Amino acid sequence: MNVVQLEHLSKTYLKSGTPAVADLSLYIPEGAVFGLLGPNGAGKSTTIMILCGLMRPDQGRVTVLDIDVIAHPHEVRKRIGVAPQEIALFNTLTARENLIYFGRMYGLKGPVLKSRIDHFLTTFGLTEKANKQVHTFSGGMKRRLNLIAALLHEPQLVILDEPTAGVDVQSRNMILGFLETLKATGTSIIYSSHVLEEAERICSHIGVVDEGKLLVTGTQAAVRGQHPDCANLEALFLKLTGKTIRD
Amino acid sequence: MLIRDPGGLVLIFMMPLALVVVMALVQDAPFRDYQELKIDVLLVDMDRDSLGNKIRKSFEAAGQVHLVEESDSVVARQKVHSGEYKAAIILNPEVSSTLRRKTRQLIARVFTKFGMDADNSDSLQIPTIQLKVLVDPAIKVNYRQNLTSGIEKIIANVQTSWLLDELQEQLSEGKENTEKIEFDLSQIAAVDQRYAAEKKSVGLMTNSVQHNVPAWTMFAMFFILYPLAGNFINEREGGSMLRLRLIAGSQFAVITGKFLFYFVVCLLQFLMLIAVGVYIMPLLGLDRLVLGDSPMLILLTACCVAMAATGYGTLIAVYFKTAQQALSFGSVSVVILSAIGGVWIPIYVMPEILQTISRFSPMSWGLESFNDLFLRQAHFGSILPNILRLLGFALVTLAASVLIHNSRTVS
Repeated sequence: MNVVQLEHLSKTYLKSGTPAVADLSLYIPEGAVFGLLGPNGAGKSTTIMILCGLMRPDQGRVTVLDIDVIAHPHEVRKRIGVAPQEIALFNTLTARENLIYFGRMYGLKGPVLKSRIDHFLTTFGLTEKANKQVHTFSGGMKRRLNLIAALLHEPQLVILDEPTAGVDVQSRNMILGFLETLKATGTSIIYSSHVLEEAERICSHIGVVDEGKLLVTGTQAAVRGQHPDCANLEALFLKLTGKTIRD
Repeated sequence: MLIRDPGGLVLIFMMPLALVVVMALVQDAPFRDYQELKIDVLLVDMDRDSLGNKIRKSFEAAGQVHLVEESDSVVARQKVHSGEYKAAIILNPEVSSTLRRKTRQLIARVFTKFGMDADNSDSLQIPTIQLKVLVDPAIKVNYRQNLTSGIEKIIANVQTSWLLDELQEQLSEGKENTEKIEFDLSQIAAVDQRYAAEKKSVGLMTNSVQHNVPAWTMFAMFFILYPLAGNFINEREGGSMLRLRLIAGSQFAVITGKFLFYFVVCLLQFLMLIAVGVYIMPLLGLDRLVLGDSPMLILLTACCVAMAATGYGTLIAVYFKTAQQALSFGSVSVVILSAIGGVWIPIYVMPEILQTISRFSPMSWGLESFNDLFLRQAHFGSILPNILRLLGFALVTLAASVLIHNSRTVS
């Protein structure tokens, strides 16, 4: 079963006039950790926005967990957890208050909510800081809390956009370690990052997009097997997308 | 979050409190101008006869003018010119005797006309008696009119009184032991001025507290857009709004949640500022705010104003993309709405075009309702049209906010 099916997806922003996503078709199998890779402006964020139901494609069909995203975006959002690249937290609330608030918005309450919050705070080493306001947190702590907020309702599909951006080595190691644990439970993950070493470490499948088009997709082993001349994922990425600066 | 934001709390509660108190204090004197302020007026009495005494007694009884004696008319002119005194009344020599002569001549003419004996010894043409009133150019028009009409009334009373005296004197001529009748002219006719209230009259005229407390309370309530829009846009820019967009459920819940929270804050503002009007204003030497006898209708009106204010704030918060745009537009628009809504000056003194425009300001609907309840003892039916307007405004702004927010949630 595929957790995500994108068929001939196209989206053009009115202001730019150039297609952000152009006839993109993509299938992500259940239980996969899918690395959505591409340079800046490749169309990764647009694809993620469409997957979450926050943006409507101009053309194409989008199915997440067998639910049509365009027709039933709320049903999809109930089942997925998204950690956006920006820190999406209330700065003047404490870590625990943030999680209580978002947990309640997901319909969690009582002992279930409390136990999940305690579990995740312990897992991500934030128990001691649970009652501190978020604006006092370091970048790494905020990033970890941002991730917890996406996981509280135990989603079937987790979408992570640059989950390790701006964090120190220890925090990154903790986050990646957790994702490997999550992968072992069979949870499907879409992982978008510029840090290809991370993708190489945790992704079972990859898809490289550029200029709104899918250049290659498949299991990491299969894709790399098609390019034996590339010693690592970064070399493969540069071979496919070129060395031209995109910003 | 609000509790952890001292700046926000100050903005929502302390600033309106300061505003209401300061405005009530500042406008206290102008309000008293019209109603109870005593002004000093010079009296140059070169006549030294009964008219001067009548003027003294009448103004003393009326209580609005304090007469200060001045012997020199040139000095009086200088004092008024310099602004030291607002006005001076000049009684030229023999003005009383001239008035008396003129009265006697009038009676003699009437008697002669009807063939009765009369004293016609004084047949010289007497010019119209003129009392001179010097006024400070800076004096308000209503002061000048009040002073002039007061003097005219005194002269008319004196003239009537003397006419009656002369009439008695002429009629009793040649008759012995005729006792003179003293007339109290004030007993003949009097104006019975009452307040046009729907129920019992509270005998209250508007004053600085009665105008400023509800007016600036509404201004403060509409300024809820400042923390509301600031908070909303901060959440949008800070990312927490994105998190809410990513969570299942209608954005209606997000918008109405904020609406309800700030609605309650608005009501708390209202209660606090009304309490200031009732309990704090008298401690500052101002009048106590009188609330009338319909607390539930006042609460209903306050709820409707709070809904309108919060709805407007939500719309501003949702529509504008940056805090700078929202707060600039929001602040200026609230000032404009308050100005045309009668918060700064009463609507009835505005030009006709502004009076027409003011009908479209939610603040005028609220202020009119509060005045109806506080001063006119109005019943539900009287305030219903304004209540419906406020509710309609709240619903339209809230619906527009939800539509705009939803349209931006899914682009």
